[in-house]
Amino acid sequence: MSLFRPVRTVTSADGDYWELYVSKTALPQWRQGRGGGGDIGSVDPRFGLVELPFAILSALWGLLIVPLVRVVVLLPVAVARGRRSRAVRIEAVRGFPEREVFLWTTTDEQVDAVVDEIAAGLSRGKLLQPEGAVYSGREPS
Amino acid sequence: MLERLVAWARGDVPTATLDSERNRCIDAYDLVEELPNGPARAAAWAAFALQTYADKLVSAARADGYVRSESARLARDAYRLAAGCLDIARTGAGRVPDALPRWGTPIRSHDQLVGMRQALEALRTFIAFELRDDRAPGLAHLDEELAKVDRFWIEHPPPEIRGALGDALLHGLDEAYTLGLRVAGAA
Repeated sequence: MSLFRPVRTVTSADGDYWELYVSKTALPQWRQGRGGGGDIGSVDPRFGLVELPFAILSALWGLLIVPLVRVVVLLPVAVARGRRSRAVRIEAVRGFPEREVFLWTTTDEQVDAVVDEIAAGLSRGKLLQPEGAVYSGREPS
Repeated sequence: MLERLVAWARGDVPTATLDSERNRCIDAYDLVEELPNGPARAAAWAAFALQTYADKLVSAARADGYVRSESARLARDAYRLAAGCLDIARTGAGRVPDALPRWGTPIRSHDQLVGMRQALEALRTFIAFELRDDRAPGLAHLDEELAKVDRFWIEHPPPEIRGALGDALLHGLDEAYTLGLRVAGAA
């Protein structure tokens, strides 16, 4: 069970390539804040050079630092929550033509059978809803 | 003590505030046993099912003396409907509700799931006894929902699983309520 290595890869009859990941941890989502307070193009050119470093710092703050701190704070909570639960997440990831992730949630007793069923469905080009899992559909990217 | 403190901080409702509503339908447990099958008994069954649902939700609350506000709202609605059904059973005037009261949100808490499961098991037991057959065909749908609940009943379930458990229990409770009305109303 790993977040970073697929437990199964499937190629469907029409050529779609899927990777199935099984994990107990729901990673916190990367949520970007708003970078910068204004539009650099609208700044008076006389002050543009003075404001540029602040705009860059502001963008870094909103787009990188705040989301990173959020993930760093929430990650241990997510890991602890996953470890104490018997719930297991199964994610089917397709990278082409665009990245898509579909989620099922099951229990650790049923995970093998559910992965088998999902993989069999994907190989036939279908997203199945096995009895032993709760299908949540496409995950927001 | 800590749980009560958390319940208080969360805005949970003291269960004592539900007592007056509950007292209005306290006879529901007895009346359904006393009446012969027919419309009056169907109304008494509705009162029994509604009161059972509300009682189980209240008793499943982890913090002694407090219940989540949404559970309290639903229990209060169920008690009121149960009292109305008792009046219908006694006077013959009125119409029993078509379904049990509904939740306002899709995901149930652990306590709410426990209460719903206990209510479904209690209603199933009553119906199986009425039908004199624990494997009666009419119970098959209830048993399917209970089997689904068993499959996903784990400690600390994430919201996805709690949502599925809540849906299965709701379907089961609806089935039980309707089946009970049919069984008790059959002349």
